[in-house]
Amino acid sequence: MMLSEPTRTEIKKWMDLYPAGRQRSAILPSLYVIQREFGYCPVDAQNELAAMLDLEPAEVGAVVDFYHMLHTEPKGEYHVEVCTNVPCMLRGAGQCMHAFEEKLGIHHGETSADDKYSLDHMECLGSCGTAPMVSVTERSSGQIRYFEELDSAEDVAKVLDLVNSGKAFHTLERWTPEGDPKLSGKAAGPYRIGGMEERFLTARVDKPDSHKIDTYIADGGYEDAKRVLTTMKPEEVVEQVKASGIRGRGGAGFPTGMKWGFLAPAMPRYLVVNADESEPGTFKDRIIMEYDPHQLIEGIILSAFAIKAEIAFIYIRGEYYFGYTRLVEAVKEATKKGFLGEKIFGTDTNLRIVVHRGAGAYECGEETALLSSLEGYRGHPRMKPPFPAVEGLYAKPTIVNNVESIANVTHVMRHGVEWYRTFGTEKSPGMRIFCLSGNVKYPGLYELPHATPLSDLLNKYGGGPQSDEHPFKAIVPGGLSMKMLTADQLDTPLDYEAVQAAGSLLGSAGVIAIDASQSMVKVARRTLSFYREESCGKCTPCREGTGWLEDILIRMEEGGGRVKDIDLLARITTFIAGKSFCPFGEASVWGLQSNLAKYRAEFEQYIALTNPENDLPVIPIRPIYRPDSGKPSVATDSSFDIAGESPLNRDTPVQALGD
Amino acid sequence: MTDLVTLTIDDRQVSVPKGTLVVDAAAKLGIEIPVFCSHPKLDPVACCRMCLVEISGPRGMMLQTACSVPVAQDMVVKTDTQQVKEVQEANLAFILLNHPLDCPICDKGGECPLQDQTMQFGPGLSQLVEPKRMKNKNYLISDTIVLDQERCVVCWRCIRYLEEWEDKPQLALFERGGKTIIDIQDGQPVDAKTSGNIIDMCPVGALTNRVARFSYRPWEIERTPSICTQCSMGCNLRMDTRTHKLRRVIGRENMDVNDQWICDKGRFANAWVNDEGRLTMPLVRKNGELTPAPWGEALALVAEKLQAIKQQHGADAIGGIGSAKLANESNYLLQRFMRQLIGTNNVDHRDGGDVAALPTGLPALADVMKPQYGPDPKHDVIMLVGIDPSEELPVLDLHLKRAVRRGKAKLVIVHPRQIELTRYDGPFLQANPGTETTLVNGLLRAVTDAKEETKSEAHKLTSGASDRQVDHLCGVKSAELRKAADVLAGAQNPLIIYGPMVARGQFGAALRQALTNMALYLGKPENLAYVGLEANSQGVRDMGVLPDRLPGQAALDDTMASELLGKLWSCSLPVHPGKSYKQMLDGAGDTVKALYVMGANPASERPAWADKLDKLDFLVVQELFLTETAAQADVVLPAVSWAEQDGTFTNLERRVQRAPKALGNPQSKAAPDWMILDHLASFFDAQWGHANAQAVTAEITKAAPNYAEMLWDALGDQGLQWSTVDNSYLLPEATYARAEQPDVPATEGSLALIGGTVLYDGGNLFALTTRMKDMSFGAMVHLNPADGETLGVDDGAEVTVRSDHGALKLAVKLDATVKPGAAWIPESLPGAPVGALLNGSAVTTVTIEK
Repeated sequence: MMLSEPTRTEIKKWMDLYPAGRQRSAILPSLYVIQREFGYCPVDAQNELAAMLDLEPAEVGAVVDFYHMLHTEPKGEYHVEVCTNVPCMLRGAGQCMHAFEEKLGIHHGETSADDKYSLDHMECLGSCGTAPMVSVTERSSGQIRYFEELDSAEDVAKVLDLVNSGKAFHTLERWTPEGDPKLSGKAAGPYRIGGMEERFLTARVDKPDSHKIDTYIADGGYEDAKRVLTTMKPEEVVEQVKASGIRGRGGAGFPTGMKWGFLAPAMPRYLVVNADESEPGTFKDRIIMEYDPHQLIEGIILSAFAIKAEIAFIYIRGEYYFGYTRLVEAVKEATKKGFLGEKIFGTDTNLRIVVHRGAGAYECGEETALLSSLEGYRGHPRMKPPFPAVEGLYAKPTIVNNVESIANVTHVMRHGVEWYRTFGTEKSPGMRIFCLSGNVKYPGLYELPHATPLSDLLNKYGGGPQSDEHPFKAIVPGGLSMKMLTADQLDTPLDYEAVQAAGSLLGSAGVIAIDASQSMVKVARRTLSFYREESCGKCTPCREGTGWLEDILIRMEEGGGRVKDIDLLARITTFIAGKSFCPFGEASVWGLQSNLAKYRAEFEQYIALTNPENDLPVIPIRPIYRPDSGKPSVATDSSFDIAGESPLNRDTPVQALGD
Repeated sequence: MTDLVTLTIDDRQVSVPKGTLVVDAAAKLGIEIPVFCSHPKLDPVACCRMCLVEISGPRGMMLQTACSVPVAQDMVVKTDTQQVKEVQEANLAFILLNHPLDCPICDKGGECPLQDQTMQFGPGLSQLVEPKRMKNKNYLISDTIVLDQERCVVCWRCIRYLEEWEDKPQLALFERGGKTIIDIQDGQPVDAKTSGNIIDMCPVGALTNRVARFSYRPWEIERTPSICTQCSMGCNLRMDTRTHKLRRVIGRENMDVNDQWICDKGRFANAWVNDEGRLTMPLVRKNGELTPAPWGEALALVAEKLQAIKQQHGADAIGGIGSAKLANESNYLLQRFMRQLIGTNNVDHRDGGDVAALPTGLPALADVMKPQYGPDPKHDVIMLVGIDPSEELPVLDLHLKRAVRRGKAKLVIVHPRQIELTRYDGPFLQANPGTETTLVNGLLRAVTDAKEETKSEAHKLTSGASDRQVDHLCGVKSAELRKAADVLAGAQNPLIIYGPMVARGQFGAALRQALTNMALYLGKPENLAYVGLEANSQGVRDMGVLPDRLPGQAALDDTMASELLGKLWSCSLPVHPGKSYKQMLDGAGDTVKALYVMGANPASERPAWADKLDKLDFLVVQELFLTETAAQADVVLPAVSWAEQDGTFTNLERRVQRAPKALGNPQSKAAPDWMILDHLASFFDAQWGHANAQAVTAEITKAAPNYAEMLWDALGDQGLQWSTVDNSYLLPEATYARAEQPDVPATEGSLALIGGTVLYDGGNLFALTTRMKDMSFGAMVHLNPADGETLGVDDGAEVTVRSDHGALKLAVKLDATVKPGAAWIPESLPGAPVGALLNGSAVTTVTIEK
């Protein structure tokens, strides 16, 4: 027996949280419990968990291997992960990483000799507005804290001083050097928030104690939930949401009300809130969950009532540990007040909210992959049809909505459809939290109506280019997956139709500004490194194609590019987009496609500069694999012996370049 | 009548049943859409993207996967457009990107779908200048299967097979993205009993057969469609041979028998065929030593001795022992030899006359199968009594799992061990060994209660079998009994199967009656089946290798049958019943003076029998190897195996199937069993004159009415089931009668012994496949951990297991599946003949001594 009794008890508690017969869903939370006990997930512990969940051991191992926050080998006492994804890269994540490497005396991917620190690269952690940043995981408690705006080596030193002082986890609030000059462990509060005069979705986030239910109620919270549940029929809510024209805020922009209308009549039904905000350049849901969770919970109460679901799941990405603790606390508060649970607001409506933590996989933001993950499997997307509204979670009708979409429901029901439609355009109604990151003076969250011009967002709110010497070169309008706009497209209004007409998509409204000082080859390479890392591996084009693209771009970046590689890259992308199993295929190559199309000259220049002779790389010789006959060679003529050390003379694989 | 849907593929119309997938509809037109992940026996997963074709939809022609989209009326499909071709090329380029292209040393080379599709649909050149990714090669996922992760194209077929059919997801995807690999959990090799099927399904050389690999090239082998003879399923397989050696065995489709699956024993455990220890010359005992001799000398000696003994002691002093492992032809000729030329009915086989069998076997295997695209199984409730398909009939186990999981069938299990199939939550009645009759009586009584028919005959017949009695004697609680009764009471078309473990001796006779009552009461007497476990358990009975049955299972006093046979053989038949297998061996050296043993090894079953065989005047053994029994013989006649001679076998559902000669060893003088008997007959001045095995098959069609149509050519390569309608004389007479529970030995202070067979046993033949030696059961006694604690013995402790009849030294294995108060010693363990403890009794108790 490897698992201790308290660990087993805690796992059993997790198992009880999920509907009967669905205990497999407890696999991720249980693995977190195991990881907290051992610092990683030992195989024997995995096997014991498999027995508890009535699974084959391989099923647990497969899950552990899929999620990168679950380790099969121990990490240091403090696991420092530096976000080096594009939004952070644009603001100096490389410097930040180097600072950590120098301070800790280890290379990324290593653990210090005293087992205190492990240092790693990390994909987007959803703090693009305060880049560069790191997350630090405390092995003994499993807690994660974010340290943001690490612009200099001094800031990095402050972080390490705080961690070394042992006070780093006295609070989980985001840490910034400015907000914590005395290293007291006190955080700086939420993001730079701005936008229109009166804000709604972000109205409360920078108020004191905004996450507490008392302040939320004082601001008029839960009154609408109570009114709707006691006076309206579910169908009427669906109609209102349909009429409001709320479009999904996760990326695809599908009308929320219409989605609800597709629900199959079967019961039970489930509401799943997609809080797996992982699209690089997007950090809006995080702020709602951390600083105004009750706004989301009220939206969930309204939405679950509308679709007649009695259990709602919030699938929050594992990295959002602080948001997770805030949600759990908020659900407790709301349950205590009788807003959740049995017969809420004295009606016959029941609602239970289960907060479910992911464990690090971008693909789980795709709704069917999210459902697979929530059911306790690897986060692979599923075949559609059947769509989730017909056969979703546990093969029951399920609605999957983004956090911001659900928060919009709260405001539609509070202020009415007509009010909502006064914002934005006919087809893109309502307001939007734009996540501005990259090379602007004031990155942050700006709540604005749809159709606000891109130039307003960048210049009026964002303060223009980060450095006056370097004008904007390219803008990603909707998260890293979307195609880039060029600097002459700044007058594009930020609504679904106009951005589409400009050749891209509004996506998750993560606007990333890239200025003229940045290398588009590096942007392309870092983008593809992300998609190669996050491809789930299910389908061929994405699994093989993203890696191939990255390999070529790394070669190019390192000075081995050939002019014809540009066309090869473009050709490969056409056989990923639209050919893969899920939309990840498109997401992985759209950015590169637009980059190659719009900045081809820069690629050509880069190649001309770095590889003027158009040399091919030296390809390592493959080792020879011999069938293991178990007998020595019978060739005894010594004149055939290989003299000296030859790569042909060994049976172990040669390490591939760049791997 | 299924609804037909008409669609157009490449401008040609085709009508197919609703629900057909586009890829299959295209195949009907002869249009090949390339696939890797798609497989006709598995659910679509659409991950390889190889089958992308243009399919009409609400938004016009769109690229969609033909393997996952079902046909629709007026659908238009284009498989030959420029776009489709480009995508196929691109996908193959992606698949080949990191594929090692080590075809020259790959077992799959020459029969590899990846090679074929690359030639047909591939781009012809590679754009890759980057180094290829490297992963594990030559990596064992079990003792019998090797994985090459570099060759793998991640099609999930192996994973899906283990999940959808075996319900044991022991392989899974690990890592993710470009690093994704198929792997086992560290230290947990695949142990599913039919795991080898994933080798057949793998579309590349990622999974290879460790036993067979590097021993053939696909273009050099000869392929012989045959059947497996390791159990009574009769799974269809193909034997690949080259240079007089069996190189490989793979599964072959037969939708009435095995779908296309075979078990790992059938696939891997065939090394004995090529073994150098095989007998190649007749051996005659001279000066106490078995000495090689020419055939003529050996056969003349056999004839001379048998005739002398017949002269001196009478025909009934001679016995013939046939084998359920051997073909119909051999067994038929053995009993003809005994009846015609010796003149005795002393002919039987192991588990023959001593077992309370039924003549017809299973109604039909197809009725318990749930193929990927096919109707639900016809039996809604399947009751297993004293049979463990997971260990005894692995492909039936596969069918049953599938019937439960996908075909809505329910299982009711009666077994002293918690067998693997009990995991499907069906009622599990863990009756103490030997108490099955009481249990079935009690169950029948509970069924009558459930149906509220307490005035029925069945209710009266089971008056003694109250829930309390069942609890007391069988150790089965009332709640579980009632749960089982409810399932049976609600059954529309129940099937009841019992096996040899509970069919032996007086216990078997009583149980057969109890089960007959049950089947009668449920209205389906024809659905009660006895299932023997050897390849030809059914055929050997049909051939009349029984002391009281003639060919066609006719009774000895069936005048029509004996007249027919008398005419066919030109003799008059002996009329009084002969001795059974047990009686012959028990009487060896006493009433029995000579034995002709064909393909049986009684000396290994029981030490007492080995002693008795020594007392015989004359012992002839016809064998493949110098077994314990052969070593005691006066004459040993070398036979060839099923792979080296033509023969027919009748499986557990009465399907007569061909096993043609696949290879032969020109160095060996060993001969087919039927031929040895045919020649021996000539020494008795009988000229049987069979030119070949098919001639014997033809004679059987005349001798056994139920085999009337079973000519070699007519059997084809899917076999024929003999009809119970046309041969209704063979339907058992099912009548109600009281089934009395025989006395069970008291277990005070001792443990009830559980026997039964296991798949990976310690038998002589299995042991020769050295790759599997670590998988076999050791010489162990399995005890419930609770008993282990009481007795103070731990895992691995050396103990002496003693019964009234003998003792064995064994190691202890604590095993929670064994009922407390019982000890499990499977048959055929190395050096542990459980027969030593039984001495012929069906039920016994043992004590464990430290």
